[in-house]
Amino acid sequence: MTDTVQTPTRPAADAPTAPEQQLPTATPAAATPAAAGPASVTPAEDVAAVATAPRRRRVLLHGRGLFGLLLVGGILLLGLFAPLLTPYGPTEQIPGANLLPASGRHLFGTDEVNRDVLTRALYGIRVDVLVVFVAVPLGALLGTAAGTLAALIRPADVAVQRIFDVILAFPPIILAIGVTAILGAGITPIFVVVVAVEIPYFGRLLRSSILTLRELPFVEAAEAIGASRWWILRRHILPNSAEPLFVQLALSMSIAVFLESAMSFLGIGVRPPEPSLGTIIADAVSDLDTAPMQAVGPLLLVTGFVLGFQLIAQAVGARRRI
Amino acid sequence: MENNGISRRSLLAGLGAGGALLLAACSSAVDEAGSGASAGPTPKAGGTLKVAIPDDLIPKNLFTNSNTAITALIGLVYESLTRYPNDSIEPKPRLAKSWTASADGLSLTLQLRDDVVFHSGRAFTSKDVEFSIKAYADASWHAQGQLQSTAKAVTSVDTTDPHQAVLHFAHPLGNIFDLLDTVFIIDSETVEDIKTGKGFVGTGPFTFKSWTPNSSLVFEKNPKYWQPGRPYLDGVRIGIVPDTNAIAAQLKSGQVDFAEGVSPRDIEELSKDAKKFNKTTLAGAEQQIYVGTNVTAPALGDVRLRQAIAYAIDRDRIISEVFRGNGYATNLPWPKYSVAYDAEKNKRYAYNQAKAKELVAQIGTLPTIPYTYNTALPVYAATAQIVQANLAAVGIKVELEPVDAATFVKQLIGAEFKGIWTTFHSWAQYTPSTLVVSAYPFNALHNASHFTSDDYTSASQAAWKQPDGRSDAAIAEYAKVSDELLEALFLVEIGVIPFQWVSSTRLSGLSYTKRWELDVTNAYLA
Repeated sequence: MTDTVQTPTRPAADAPTAPEQQLPTATPAAATPAAAGPASVTPAEDVAAVATAPRRRRVLLHGRGLFGLLLVGGILLLGLFAPLLTPYGPTEQIPGANLLPASGRHLFGTDEVNRDVLTRALYGIRVDVLVVFVAVPLGALLGTAAGTLAALIRPADVAVQRIFDVILAFPPIILAIGVTAILGAGITPIFVVVVAVEIPYFGRLLRSSILTLRELPFVEAAEAIGASRWWILRRHILPNSAEPLFVQLALSMSIAVFLESAMSFLGIGVRPPEPSLGTIIADAVSDLDTAPMQAVGPLLLVTGFVLGFQLIAQAVGARRRI
Repeated sequence: MENNGISRRSLLAGLGAGGALLLAACSSAVDEAGSGASAGPTPKAGGTLKVAIPDDLIPKNLFTNSNTAITALIGLVYESLTRYPNDSIEPKPRLAKSWTASADGLSLTLQLRDDVVFHSGRAFTSKDVEFSIKAYADASWHAQGQLQSTAKAVTSVDTTDPHQAVLHFAHPLGNIFDLLDTVFIIDSETVEDIKTGKGFVGTGPFTFKSWTPNSSLVFEKNPKYWQPGRPYLDGVRIGIVPDTNAIAAQLKSGQVDFAEGVSPRDIEELSKDAKKFNKTTLAGAEQQIYVGTNVTAPALGDVRLRQAIAYAIDRDRIISEVFRGNGYATNLPWPKYSVAYDAEKNKRYAYNQAKAKELVAQIGTLPTIPYTYNTALPVYAATAQIVQANLAAVGIKVELEPVDAATFVKQLIGAEFKGIWTTFHSWAQYTPSTLVVSAYPFNALHNASHFTSDDYTSASQAAWKQPDGRSDAAIAEYAKVSDELLEALFLVEIGVIPFQWVSSTRLSGLSYTKRWELDVTNAYLA
């Protein structure tokens, strides 16, 4: 648990390396926008922006990046096409099919109330998709906004940092138990916890990037020739901070999958009878010796998801360090 | 926790008690239905019984029989005045040797044993009878025993003779022996220690040694016990293991010889290995699984909806799949051996989806009904999900609301459920009137369903005030109560479930009371 939570802080330590790689964007040409106004785009920046995007895409087209992408994409498709892949409904109780072992008809077997476990696992992916692709980006957005605010306005910095401290003081599962005590079990507390857990990571990451970047010569140069604060932020600072944020995003997505599964496993996540990977595993644990596939099947999906996002994060992170 | 377990086990395994042991193993599971010890080879004195249970002790709830730590402690340390055999409600002597009831049913004279001493060394007298009944009715306890209305109806106790207690009643009490079976005799000098958990002094076969919260309870043999030669065991050591899978694992690995709280499926698996494990079905100490309804919640005030729920539930499926065939479906709370049991009445709401759909169609549009259950036991979640599917099939939509055990009990006692709920109730294994004047879900004056009806109240009071709880007149009153329950249907019964215990075949002579209290007076280890 502790290891997983601490992992995302690693890219933050890498953050200072980012501006050096991105320095070409801060060529003298980029430092002459005052006359043209904030809306204009200089040719040099254009080139840099265009060059970054394909390079980021390329890291996902070979090696571990590709493997990660395939894992995530494959599981995503399984969840998306669940209704086409199985003849049963996720909450359908099949008459007479009580605790059947894994077979050709029921690949993961059936559970104690006669539901097909494979079907439930496939539909369970959808909860994770929602958390991964809605809650995590929302947390990232709020976190970067708070980080920007903290870096730019000194009084806000004190307040924001202390709020981050409070959130980080709670291990995610303890925070989840607290939130569930207030909101009750269900998808909403998972959503709230994931968003809350992500905000400080993104906030701190961006704040430290901004503090480093704004001391660099090209920012000073831009200020010297009269560029507005907002323009510098938009054209220099945010683009240069984007890459560590992307690494963090992939890492956070893997943590979100883990967090959803852990919460559901503890019975404070998705409400029965709706399926989620965590609840299926929790239900199957008591029968591990007689029906192992009931737990192993969904566990493979969770592992694939977490591993996929971790590999993507590592691939992107490694490219930045070259 | 179990430092010397392995060496003792290997030693005993070395003794090779073999064939004789096996014989005891085969017979004990069947024989346990009686209250006495099972027949077996010559009992062997000595040894400490190691036990695993899922709950920790809550001293202030001692009178409630509400968890496995409490029932184990009561069974080991304390004794009641009379005791029912597990399969009937005909009282047998325990601390009271004999009794005579007055003709008007307003008093009962108990002759007490004169050879009983408390663990502290003090002799047991009629004053202790008076003190214990008053303590049971005392409102200052955190949670009172559910039979407090009966205890309060005992207006005075004549203690002139130390070995004779004369109980006087406000009105005839058809269920007085339920009270005498339930109230255990406590020591007046150390009663404050009970509330803090510091000490528990009774007259039972074992003395309380120590309690380490969330860890263990230790008991030692009572050398001054009034039954000669008992108990056989030197002591009992109970480990508190909250995880039911871990309890099953401890049993499998031989760390403990007896466990409570094992899931029905683990029991099914373990009892397949008859050489190693015995299953004890607590016949006569049943609980009932049910769907309660808050009749003041939206739509549930309409009895047709409650009837539709009763018709829609596939009780046989729940018994066979969730409880692994241990139990039987019912429409009324009474177990089959109860004087109030009526096979015909019990079929009134047999599984009938067509009828349920018809009733739902008559009512029209229904809101989504909240359905609360306790997450402490997996059987509740499984039952609730099957009921949910059953109800959905006839057009009644419910939303599951899992809550933790403490919240659930609070909502049950405080009658705070928003719609329907599922849990177990008990007390139907006793005199039928006890259920309707005592149990939280049934109490005519205040129940978890917010149900009130003059007919139900008068029927339950009339049944309660019968001088003899087993007379024909009383049985006629129970029939009226049954009719009221079926008509009003504020509580939809699913089935009668006897609890099950698992023990290793090393242990013989395991027994229990009608309230699941652990009785190892005659138990011994091979």
